Amino acid sequence: MGRKQVRPPRALPPVPRILGSLFFSFCFIDDIPLSRPKKKKPRTKTMLASASSEGLVQTAVHRPSESSEPPTKEPIEHPEGPVQRRQRKTRLPHELETAFTQKTSSPSLLRNENGINVEPAEEPIIPKPRRKTKKTQPAELHYANELGVEDEDIITDEQRSPEQQSVFTAPTGISQPVGKVFVEKNRRFQATDRSELIKTTENIEMSVDLKPSWTTRDVALSVHRAFRMVGLFSHGFLAGCAVWNIIVIYVLAGDQLSNLSNLLQQYKTLAYPFQSLLYLLLALSTVSAFDRIDFAKTSVAIRNFLALDPTAFASFLYFTALILSLSQQMTSDRIHLYTPSSVNGSLWAAGIEEQVLQPWIMVNLVVAVLVGLSWLFLSYRPGVDLSEELMFSSDVEEYSDKDKGIKASS
Amino acid sequence: MLQTSNYSLVLSLQFLLLSYDLFVNSFSELLRMAPVVQLVLFIIQDIAVLFNIIIIFLMFFNTFIFQAGLVNLLFHKFKGTIILTAMYFALSIFLHVWVMNLRWKDSNRFVWTDGLQTLFVFQRLAAVLYCYFYKRTAVRLGDPRFYQDSVWLRKEFMQTRRTYKWPRHMKKCSTSLIIGDAN
Repeated sequence: MGRKQVRPPRALPPVPRILGSLFFSFCFIDDIPLSRPKKKKPRTKTMLASASSEGLVQTAVHRPSESSEPPTKEPIEHPEGPVQRRQRKTRLPHELETAFTQKTSSPSLLRNENGINVEPAEEPIIPKPRRKTKKTQPAELHYANELGVEDEDIITDEQRSPEQQSVFTAPTGISQPVGKVFVEKNRRFQATDRSELIKTTENIEMSVDLKPSWTTRDVALSVHRAFRMVGLFSHGFLAGCAVWNIIVIYVLAGDQLSNLSNLLQQYKTLAYPFQSLLYLLLALSTVSAFDRIDFAKTSVAIRNFLALDPTAFASFLYFTALILSLSQQMTSDRIHLYTPSSVNGSLWAAGIEEQVLQPWIMVNLVVAVLVGLSWLFLSYRPGVDLSEELMFSSDVEEYSDKDKGIKASS
Repeated sequence: MLQTSNYSLVLSLQFLLLSYDLFVNSFSELLRMAPVVQLVLFIIQDIAVLFNIIIIFLMFFNTFIFQAGLVNLLFHKFKGTIILTAMYFALSIFLHVWVMNLRWKDSNRFVWTDGLQTLFVFQRLAAVLYCYFYKRTAVRLGDPRFYQDSVWLRKEFMQTRRTYKWPRHMKKCSTSLIIGDAN
């Protein structure tokens, strides 16, 4: 609130009403509400009229500084004043929007613009900050222009001279352009930097421009490619897991499968979790391999398989491994529920171990081999994806065209 | 026209349901500490499959092909998915009922018979095929060509008409339509 008292009075030049209202729509004062300057505007105008032009105000401004200008000059120059100002209006319409403090507090400037166009030496301190603003804020000038206010018009706190403050008689608030724009957020006007506001609006425009380019086809394509990556990972992981599993089984079973009871005891906690993991990875890998050959188009898939295409062959091997693995579910559950034959109600009667376990080990070995081979076949040509080529054919053409264009340009 | 954001949302929901289905198929045998746990998992799994069926049909209804009345073309294009999904749903319910019936008293009992093993293998194989076909269909339905009239659509329609054996009354109807068009 201290600012209110310090604020200097400014005499408004005879701006046309429409322009004035336009100007006031851009002018905000930090503390004083918007409606207040509007009330002050006619008061200043009447003051001007009653005191027969700016003369009074000018003297009021210059009194404390005790300017050397004689008071007699004013009545002489007064009749020419309005006419000259009208001419100025036609010549420099944008100047109407410029800071009024500078014009009103320096009457000599008006006079000089009349004919001589030379600034007197006596001129008050105010023009200096104007140059300052020009020098310090050149980069922001174009931003300011976009929002309809020139940077020259913006008066920062530094520009208020002590002379003006002392002259101030009443706490009148006259609007002036400031470096900030007040944006309504949550039913309140909040000060935001103009340059920032422009940047954010530009960003929004950019995002709006970008959005339409991301079509449903792109979404589908990106999902398809993401799943291909998951599949690629699962191929390798599955091959590693299967090989590790068969090694563990053979190590626990001992030489010539002589220690099968040891295998059962050690492996029973591992059997079912591994079976579940194997199914999960096999399912992912099979789906991924089917994607590679576009299994849904049966004719293409069969043709590729007959042509001994590694990818088609790998999907066939995966599917076989899946069937073999699933067929061992019963045995896996039997291993999971293993109790020695001596225990009452045991599923494992004496001598049955080898009979049940030998095919199970063989199937696991075959699964490991199939999975390992499939992984080798698929990693031989990891880029092959017939689904993408067939499903998104137009897209692929576009991409290839783009690539060609890029290559040609480079 | 299908919105990208809507499609992304639907696709993510479909993939979520598919992932849940795959998870339950893989680990339901492990999570059988209590019969109720398995029962809840199975119920949710079946509901998820049902939801997926509903979603895919809603996506079909949203296509230009369907709205233009070319339902047959749509069925011809995605018959594999529709049949497989229906089969998988039936197999799942059958297996779940059987397994829960056997394990309700004691969840850690050895319940396997040759019949159950066979059903289990078929259900799990159908699950993999369902996953592949469903995923493929969901991704394919993102193609903007399904949501607008195009030369491709007309060509597809003509191709289907050639391969599909129309019933007699339909044949008459279609020929009269063509004559009417020509006139």
